[in-house]
Amino acid sequence: MSVIKVEQLKKVFKGKEVVKGISFELNKGRCVALLGPNGAGKTTTLRMLSGLLKPSNGSIKFQEKNALNDIRYSIGYLPQYPVFHSWMSGKEFLMYVGELAYLSKKEANERAEELLKKVAIDDAKNQRISKYSGGMKQRLGIAQAMMHKPKLLMLDEPVSSLDPIGRREVLTLMEELKEETTILFSTHILGDAEEICDDLLLLHHGEILESGSIDDLRKRHQSPKFELSLRDSANKYVDKIERLESVNTIVLEKGELHIFVNDIARARAEILTKAVQEDWPIVKFELSRTSLEDLFMKVVQS
Amino acid sequence: MQWKTIFMKELLEDWRSYKWIWVPLVFILFCIMDPLSTYYLPQIIQAVGGLPDGAVIDIPETEPEMAIMMSLTQMSMLGVLVVIAITMGVIAGERKSGVAELILVKPVRYVTYILAKWSAKLLLVFVSYLVGMLASWYYVNLLFGEITIIEFFSLFLFYFVWLIFVVTLTVFYNTMMKVPGLVLTSTVITIMAMSVLNQIFSFRLPWLPNSISEHITTMLTEGSIPNELWMASAITLGLSLILLLFSRYIFQTKEMAE
Repeated sequence: MSVIKVEQLKKVFKGKEVVKGISFELNKGRCVALLGPNGAGKTTTLRMLSGLLKPSNGSIKFQEKNALNDIRYSIGYLPQYPVFHSWMSGKEFLMYVGELAYLSKKEANERAEELLKKVAIDDAKNQRISKYSGGMKQRLGIAQAMMHKPKLLMLDEPVSSLDPIGRREVLTLMEELKEETTILFSTHILGDAEEICDDLLLLHHGEILESGSIDDLRKRHQSPKFELSLRDSANKYVDKIERLESVNTIVLEKGELHIFVNDIARARAEILTKAVQEDWPIVKFELSRTSLEDLFMKVVQS
Repeated sequence: MQWKTIFMKELLEDWRSYKWIWVPLVFILFCIMDPLSTYYLPQIIQAVGGLPDGAVIDIPETEPEMAIMMSLTQMSMLGVLVVIAITMGVIAGERKSGVAELILVKPVRYVTYILAKWSAKLLLVFVSYLVGMLASWYYVNLLFGEITIIEFFSLFLFYFVWLIFVVTLTVFYNTMMKVPGLVLTSTVITIMAMSVLNQIFSFRLPWLPNSISEHITTMLTEGSIPNELWMASAITLGLSLILLLFSRYIFQTKEMAE
């Protein structure tokens, strides 16, 4: 069942289309990564979903209507660089936003305590936020987004600005939150997406180029590939290999040749025959499958 | 109650940033400065010295009504500036820093957000102004002569109408702009422009908002409330209401992030 349905969502800033009419659905209970390089339109998309920006065109529909008829009631949102009232304590801030989302003082208090434990800033709950570290602020940001138990939690680059420890903490936390709600988070790091997500939306230049579950995408884009490294400069072999019939494309990366092929058996025979004939100084010849990384790079560079 | 939540948070913020202490103190200073220095002028001149022997200084007696009006004159110059300064960031500041991005994705009604902030600032201004004027009233009664309680509260409340307008105008610019400094400048320029208009047209249009303090002087000297004062106050309140409606409209159509 889908939580939110987005159709033909478009945003134009000063004549420039930042988001070019994208459509997608998010299914309940899934963790979805909005993946794309910087400037792909990820933040703009999230801001439109959260109501901070008005779409130039298109529609955003929540499947479940809430009593207030306000989509903001159903979502929790953490901006990329969250700013708090730094004169408040962590707990005060949580209670403040909780009450803004129509929790009673008592409910807000209980929920704040619960979340402070969950995000592990229990010890610092009465300290001023101005004293918090970057990681603590990010976790407080997630807690404030979860205060009113939103149907959809949206996180904008939640781990990009953190050090390895902070990053690990937030990723673990997100893993736990997957049980409670649907998560949509943006990132430009494929590894993060692969690690905790079920689904992927690949955004580039304001368009969704690929979408689906990670497993599906892997299967769909797995084309066989040989990796070849040689003792001398790989450059001069590019042309030779490209001329072979069974070879699709060839990419040179860090002195290693990635040869994408259609038919594994034929390609292997052709390449090896050639290699023997010309006595190539082969160091490594290996069959592998394209990874999502390759897909990501291919999409982004094209 | 969302309104109460934001209102209380504003009061707490102003408390923690010491506004609830320094604004009343500054207002007391503004209000008692002129009456006191007028009263002690002969002594001051004597202490400073520099006058040749035998020079005669004849300082006319100051009426108590004139003395307390000095406080209002100070309020309408320095006081109004302080009012604008403490209000200029009430919304613009939150939007500039980015906190608004967290607050406004909560299901907060924009009109509630504006009104809660407006009323919290108004309360701070009201209390500070009350304290300042009470101090002035005390000294005027002591040094110049009696101002009755009715006189005091009518001048106090009529002038507060003008302060309501100043707060509302500042909040209005807050919803339009993201930079507190710009809010300050725009508000000051608007008030100065209104004052010029008032000076040019005061014969034809005796009920412009800026004329309130002139009418208060008339009220004190004549001992009754002139019609123009009622008119000017009503119009000032009406303008404030319109500004609030516009603020809400502007805020709703505005994008909260770029």
